[in-house]
Amino acid sequence: MSAVTMLHQYKTTIEDGDLVVVYINPESMLTITMKKGSVLNNKFGSFPHDKMIGLKYGSMATSLNGRGFVYLLHPTPELWTQVVPHRTQILYLPDISFISLYLDLKPGKIVIESGTGSGSFSHSIARSIAPTGHLYTFEYHELRAETARKEFIDHNLTEIVTIEHRDVLANGFGKVGIADAVFLDLPAPWDAVASAKEALRRDTIGRVCSFSPCIEQVQRTALALDEHGFADIRMYECLVRDYEVRTLPLPDIEEAIGGQKVNFKLNKNDRKKRKLESGAASLAGQSGTSSEVMLSKPADQARGHTSYLTFAILAPEVTSE
Amino acid sequence: MIASRLDPTVIKSGDHVIIRMPSSNAKIISLKPDNTVSLGKFGTFKASELIGKTFGHTYEIEKGGSIVPHTLAGFDNADITEANNKEILDDPKAQKLTFQEIEQLKTMSLSGDMSAQEIIASLTENNESFDKKTEFSKSKYILRKQKKFMKSFVPLETSVYNLCNFFFEFNPGKIRGIRPDTLSQILSLANVYSNARVLAVDDGQGMIIGSLLTRISKGGQVIGIHDGDVSNYDAIRYMNFPAEDIKDHRLYTLPWSKLYHTMEPFTEELTEDSSIDDRSGRERRLRGHTRLSETLDTVRRGEFDALVISTNYNSKSVIERLAPYLGGSRMLVVYDQSKDALLETFAWLRQSPDFLNVRLTESWLREYQVLPSRTHPMMNTSGGGGFIVSAIHLASTATATATSSS
Repeated sequence: MSAVTMLHQYKTTIEDGDLVVVYINPESMLTITMKKGSVLNNKFGSFPHDKMIGLKYGSMATSLNGRGFVYLLHPTPELWTQVVPHRTQILYLPDISFISLYLDLKPGKIVIESGTGSGSFSHSIARSIAPTGHLYTFEYHELRAETARKEFIDHNLTEIVTIEHRDVLANGFGKVGIADAVFLDLPAPWDAVASAKEALRRDTIGRVCSFSPCIEQVQRTALALDEHGFADIRMYECLVRDYEVRTLPLPDIEEAIGGQKVNFKLNKNDRKKRKLESGAASLAGQSGTSSEVMLSKPADQARGHTSYLTFAILAPEVTSE
Repeated sequence: MIASRLDPTVIKSGDHVIIRMPSSNAKIISLKPDNTVSLGKFGTFKASELIGKTFGHTYEIEKGGSIVPHTLAGFDNADITEANNKEILDDPKAQKLTFQEIEQLKTMSLSGDMSAQEIIASLTENNESFDKKTEFSKSKYILRKQKKFMKSFVPLETSVYNLCNFFFEFNPGKIRGIRPDTLSQILSLANVYSNARVLAVDDGQGMIIGSLLTRISKGGQVIGIHDGDVSNYDAIRYMNFPAEDIKDHRLYTLPWSKLYHTMEPFTEELTEDSSIDDRSGRERRLRGHTRLSETLDTVRRGEFDALVISTNYNSKSVIERLAPYLGGSRMLVVYDQSKDALLETFAWLRQSPDFLNVRLTESWLREYQVLPSRTHPMMNTSGGGGFIVSAIHLASTATATATSSS
C-alpha cells in the first residue's frame, strides 16, 4: 500500500502515490500526489515526479535545468491547515491547539465536530485521537461534506473519521451518550446545545467548546449552556504574534557628536551580509566602529481576531449508591 | 463503525487531584484513603469520600467531613435596573453585625452548625446599603461572600491543561513559566501523535515531556535528555499515569554526560559468598546497564519524529548537538519564557541550510467574564506565557543535493 497515512504515521521516503507538500516559501505551498511519469511545472522550472520518488521527505528537488528548487515535505495537520483549499473560514493553529488541549484530546477520545467546514480542524483532531479514538463530523452543506469525505479517503482517515451530511441545527447529531467532547462551529450554536448534551457521555466528565466570531453568539450560547446544566462556562480568545529579528547598529550618540556618520539603513547587499554574519554574531557583537545588537520586533501584520472560544463541562450523572 | 470508549475517569486511591476552593485558590493532594484533607476556612473532609467519584461536580462539605455533590446556582437573572450607586456611601457602619458577631458565624460555619447560605443571608439582611445596590452589584456582593464562606470545592483531574494551569498560577518557576496555550501550540507544532518518537529536553520539571506522553500511546516513545545523573521530571508524577506503562515502554531518559557514552559489556560477577544485598545490587546495576544500552541504541537510531526543547542552556548549542538525530521534514520546537534567550537561536536557524520556515512566536491569551449583560475581559490576566521558535528540519541529504546541483 503506497497511499500515505498522513496523520498517524510519518514515512521516511517518498513513494509513488504519496501526497507530498511542495514548499516554495512560507506563503507558497501546494500538495501534489506522486505519479510516475507526471511533471510539476511552475515558474521555478520542471520537476518530474520520477526524480522525486525515492527521495527522503525533507529533501530539496532541483528542476530539470538545475536552476530552480523546491522542498518536498511530509504532510501534517499543520501544513494541511496552510494548504487546504478554503471552502469556509478555517481554524488556525492557536485556536486548534488551545481547543485540543482544553478538551483533553488524546489517543482513544471520541469527539463530535460540527460543521466540518474545510476540514482543517478535523485533520488535527484525528491526529490527536488516533489510532483508537474516533471523530464524528457533521456538515450541512452537501458539496462541502462530499469534498471533505473525499479528502478523508485520500488521506487514509476513514478508520478514524466518519463524516455525515446532516443539518445538526435542525436534526441534532443523532448520537446518544458516546462523546468525550463536542466542538461546535455553527452560526447558531445555542440551537445545538441540547443535542450536544445528548451526545455526551454521562458516565464521565464531558467537555464542549463553541467557536463563534461574535460576542452576541457567545452570550446566547452561554445562556443555553447554563440552561442545559453545563457548568464552569469560560470564554477565551487566543492569538499568536510573530516576531522578526534583525541585527542593527545601535551606536552611542557620542558618534554623532563627534561627527561620525552611521549608516542605519542597510542596502541590500549589506543586509544580506549582515544576515549571514548574524548567524555567528553574539547578542552584542562589535562590527566596525558601531556596536551591533540583535533586535526583535513584532511582524507588521497580525491576525487581530478569529473567534471566541466558549468552553463548558457537563458533570456525569450521579448514580445512587 | 462504533468506536469503543475509554474507561470513565474515576478518582482512585493514590491519585493526585487538584482541589479548587471557592476563593479560586487551589492545591494538589495525593489521595490516601485514611487521610483527611484540610482546606482551612473552607472545611475539612475525608479523602476516602472522593475515591470512586468522577470529575465535574462541586462538592459541599458536610458536618463530619462527608461530601455531597452540589448543583451550582448557574447564572443569576440580574438585569439592568433603575438602581445605581448615587445613594451609596462607602460606610463601614452599613454592616450592622459587629466583628465579633461575624467571627461567631464563621466558627459556627466551620463546625458545620450553620450553612454558608445562612451566613450570607444574615450578612445581607444586616447590610443597610444592600437594598440600594443595583442587581449587578447585589449579585457581585453575594458572589464575593460565597468565595469567603462556602464550604465547597471542585476536584479537578490532573489533565495536562489543568496541571499546567495550576503550576502557571501557583509555581510558574517550576515549569519555566509555560502557559497552557503556549504548551498546546508546542504539541501541535511538534505533530505529536500516537506512535511518534520524540526527542526532548525539558528543564521545566517535565511539564512538556509529560504532555508529550499523554499524546502518544503504544508504540510511541519520548526520550528525555537531562542534566545530572537522574532526571527531575516531577510534573509527570502528578499525571496519574500507570507507572510501569510509562517507565518501561514510553519514557526513556539519558543524562547529557552519557550522550556519547560507549557501552562496555556488563562484567560484574557474583562470588559464592555474595550477600543478598550484593545480589540485588548487581541486579539493579544490570537493569541500569541494559536500560542505558537500550536508550543509547534508540537515540543513535536517530530519525526522530520531533525535537522539543525547553532548556536553561543556550538552545542553539542544544540544537547543534541534537538536530542530527532529527528526521527529515520533522519539526524542531524550542520554548523559552524569555524572547531574548531565543534571538540568537532564531537568527542562526534562519541562516542554517538544514532548517526551513523558521518562526519566532508569542501566544496571547485573554479570558472573558461571560454573564448576562456583563460580558467583558477579566480585569487581571497573565503578563506573558512564553515564546516558541519552530522550524522544519530538512533531510540530511538536502544540503548535499543542493551543493552538487549548484
